Amino acid sequence: MSAPLSRIRNFSIIAHIDHGKSTLADRILDVTGAITKREQKQQLLDRMELEQERGITIKAQGVRLAYTADDGIEYQLNLIDTPGHVDFSYEVSRSLAACEGALLVVDATQGVEAQTLANVYLALENDLEIIPVFNKIDLPSADVDRVIREVREVVGLDVEEVLACSGKTGEGVKEVLEAIVRRIPPPKANEEGPPRALLFDSWYDAYRGAMCMVRMIDGTLRKGDKIRMMATKAEYEITEMGVYTPFPTSVDHLGPGEVGFFAASIKSVHDTKVGDTITLARTAAEVEPLPGFKDVKPMVFCGIFPTDSDQYTDLRDAMDKLRLNDAAFFFEPETSDALGFGFRCGFLGLLHMEIVQERLEREYGLDLITTAPSVVYHVYLNDGSMVEVENPSRLPDPGLIDRIEEPYFTVSIHVPSSYVGPVIRLCQERRGEQKGIAYSSTDRVVITYALPLAEVLFDFFDKLKSATRGYASMDYELEGYRPNKLVRLDLLINGDRVDALSAIVHKDNAYPIGRALAQKLKNLVPRQQYEVAIQAAIGSKIIARETVRALRKDVTAKCYGGDISRKRKLLEKQKAGKKRMKSVGKVDIPQEAFHAILKVES
Amino acid sequence: MDPRASVVDTSVYVHFPWCARKCPYCDFATRRVEVIPHRAYADAVLRELAERRHVLEGRRLFSIFLGGGTPSLWDPAEVARVLDGIREAFPASVDEVEITAEANPNSLSTAQLRGFREAGVNRLSVGVQSLHDAQLRFLGRLHDRTQALDALEGAVATFGRVSADLMFGLPGQQAEAWSQDVSELLSAGVEHVSAYALTIEPGTQFGALHRLGKLRVATEEDYAAMFERTRDVMEGHGLEHYEVSNYARPGARARHNEHYWRGGDYLGLGAAAVGCLSEGSGRAFRYKNEVRDERYLAAGGESERETLGPDEILREGLMLGLRTGDGVDVEALSARAGQDWRRGREKAVDARLTRGDLVLDGSRLRVPPERWLWLDGIVADLF
Repeated sequence: MSAPLSRIRNFSIIAHIDHGKSTLADRILDVTGAITKREQKQQLLDRMELEQERGITIKAQGVRLAYTADDGIEYQLNLIDTPGHVDFSYEVSRSLAACEGALLVVDATQGVEAQTLANVYLALENDLEIIPVFNKIDLPSADVDRVIREVREVVGLDVEEVLACSGKTGEGVKEVLEAIVRRIPPPKANEEGPPRALLFDSWYDAYRGAMCMVRMIDGTLRKGDKIRMMATKAEYEITEMGVYTPFPTSVDHLGPGEVGFFAASIKSVHDTKVGDTITLARTAAEVEPLPGFKDVKPMVFCGIFPTDSDQYTDLRDAMDKLRLNDAAFFFEPETSDALGFGFRCGFLGLLHMEIVQERLEREYGLDLITTAPSVVYHVYLNDGSMVEVENPSRLPDPGLIDRIEEPYFTVSIHVPSSYVGPVIRLCQERRGEQKGIAYSSTDRVVITYALPLAEVLFDFFDKLKSATRGYASMDYELEGYRPNKLVRLDLLINGDRVDALSAIVHKDNAYPIGRALAQKLKNLVPRQQYEVAIQAAIGSKIIARETVRALRKDVTAKCYGGDISRKRKLLEKQKAGKKRMKSVGKVDIPQEAFHAILKVES
Repeated sequence: MDPRASVVDTSVYVHFPWCARKCPYCDFATRRVEVIPHRAYADAVLRELAERRHVLEGRRLFSIFLGGGTPSLWDPAEVARVLDGIREAFPASVDEVEITAEANPNSLSTAQLRGFREAGVNRLSVGVQSLHDAQLRFLGRLHDRTQALDALEGAVATFGRVSADLMFGLPGQQAEAWSQDVSELLSAGVEHVSAYALTIEPGTQFGALHRLGKLRVATEEDYAAMFERTRDVMEGHGLEHYEVSNYARPGARARHNEHYWRGGDYLGLGAAAVGCLSEGSGRAFRYKNEVRDERYLAAGGESERETLGPDEILREGLMLGLRTGDGVDVEALSARAGQDWRRGREKAVDARLTRGDLVLDGSRLRVPPERWLWLDGIVADLF
């Protein structure tokens, strides 16, 4: 038996990192009796080690809770967790589409943050009932009145009912649950119609294949049903069905409005596209797919190479495994003259890239050399055709190129008004085009710029943070492609072009960037037995030259019985420093050199 | 097979922790005292020897080295007691045990020389450092050029086997003057020279001056030039460059030090002395004695101890052996470490062989002497 629609509430929690989402979620599980004290020890909603460390939830999850409200009725609450970073905004939007309401959790000691705002707007677009909740009231620095004012002024929400709570102590959590029941509308559904389920999360299970987390929009899906994914058009048979309570519990069907997961012997998460609509194979012709589906495309690319070429196969296996569980992660083999055999990889954004790199190193024990991230350029050739170039060293011959277009982002930066000047300066330096400045409250400003994504990749976050002493927060979305005067900047080491160091830059900045880059590399490349020449070039024209002097002496004078341990340890340390180096010809180049372009001041 | 394969050749290092004066560049465990406790220190060393006697089973005495400090300050009668004790503690010894003592030119009276000779010392290593008075003053040495040459004459007459320490890379030192020093030493009958660059160690007077920018040191270029010049001069005089900092006439190598560079076992006795003893294949332990002299005198004991496994034994074997012209016997090293020497470093070895930084000759792995200036980087690659 499914729960009647009137007793179902589907909601998610929107919160800025560190504003206590996980703690509050745990407390909700506690108050509804879903988990015992001992089980609470671990914050259950964050699955992966990395997520916990970074405080970022990458995977959405749906947890079904039974809650008996003050009206004496037992409700089915489905808590749908959302990823917490801009790189994953599409996934967030699909999770929110699976809900009728959202808790907006605001740290009562901090206030509203830009990232939170982005998700609030997503929630509003999805017509969600938003319930502001003021968390961490157990802390002495909590200032609920001020934060209420901010929610009214910055977010533009009415705060009719003040819900102040502490995920830590549990104070006020019961009232939050009552508000969920009272204020969030029950799902609407065509209960008897052909089933339509929104796929809002998927992950890979070693025994069951790709798992689908769905919200039933219409009708019912049952174990054994033959289903069809409307976007991929693939058909499967549901072999297993369940809900999280938060522990996985088998069910034989999911009724209208309900949330749960199923397995259907699906090979990988690339076949389970978030946002897809699932129906029965036999009803596929009669139903409309749910709106909002997008095929996510990687925006940021980089080369990943094993430091030791013997690890190539291990790296490929590790990437295969990661891809099973990460539909947005793309890779294909790539050969670099400098770095040998490796992979060109695509990511949703910088954070996604860092997470994948870290997991490859940490979970799979690989030593990697990664190249600087690059965007996808649209290169129009004289014959009218267009090629997508995501590796600067693969830019076609300039003689063949009609024009190059690069992706632009619309970037919204939220800052206290006193930092407007530095933010505008930074955006101008980065070839930005101002689109607007708006006061969101008396002392908070939203600055909107169109910025080339390439400029955002080049150390923009760190620069923004230091220009605003950490007070700025930002979100962004793709605006489109614009043509620009772009050229490829090459780096030569001892006269040979190192493909992995090439970059595409704006023509007007190419000279200063080339000079600065050559200088940076000079300081990064360790001195070796031979002199090393570093040159920057555009086409065949050398625009900068630096020399790394030869190392003339690298030997310890004395080594007798009493010196051996100390000397051995010194060399061990030296060796550890060399681990992240790649020999290009006779020259050892450290990992940092491949990212030097990101830190260059032009 | 050597029928005595189970007998482990073992050297002994005895540390004498005192000097008449602490040199401004020296970071050894030494200090200056008013009254040297000659007898008490010999007693303490003999006490330690007795405590360690159980580890000497199955070992053969290979060489003894009296270092410091300035062991030439030690009363020869006490030296004799210590050396007798050591010889007596070992169940066996090689035919001709090399017994070297370090000496400073200013503490080498004829009586002292004769006393050491009678105690059993058969080789002297004299801390000459320079034959230029200005440089000697700069180095804070208590002797001058005349004393140095006199001391060498006496030493050669008494011991025959004499080594001299020389320093290069001193501020303002010219290559010409340096090779002249070398020639003079060799004419004085020295058969072995240890030539070191002045190294600025933290925690020394020179270290402090250098940090304050008040001490100029030789540039890398100067150092490299001196290093190569030294080799030319030495080889011109018929000395072989058999280790990064050591030169010898044929047959005159320091056997005790060669034993270190081959990765041989050594017992350390005395304050701050280090010893390293193998425990079968692939395992060894190293200890360092109590560093403070009063504490050592009173109670002895160790300040550090570490266990070496196959990886450490291999790394040290390569690090030490590649300092020498003979290089490393990699098969013997693999046997000693209980692990194939190449495992895990195949790539680095191949790359360095290709570049000519390494040469493999049968089971001998060597770094050609003309690449010794870059030895640390080469060895670190093999770690």
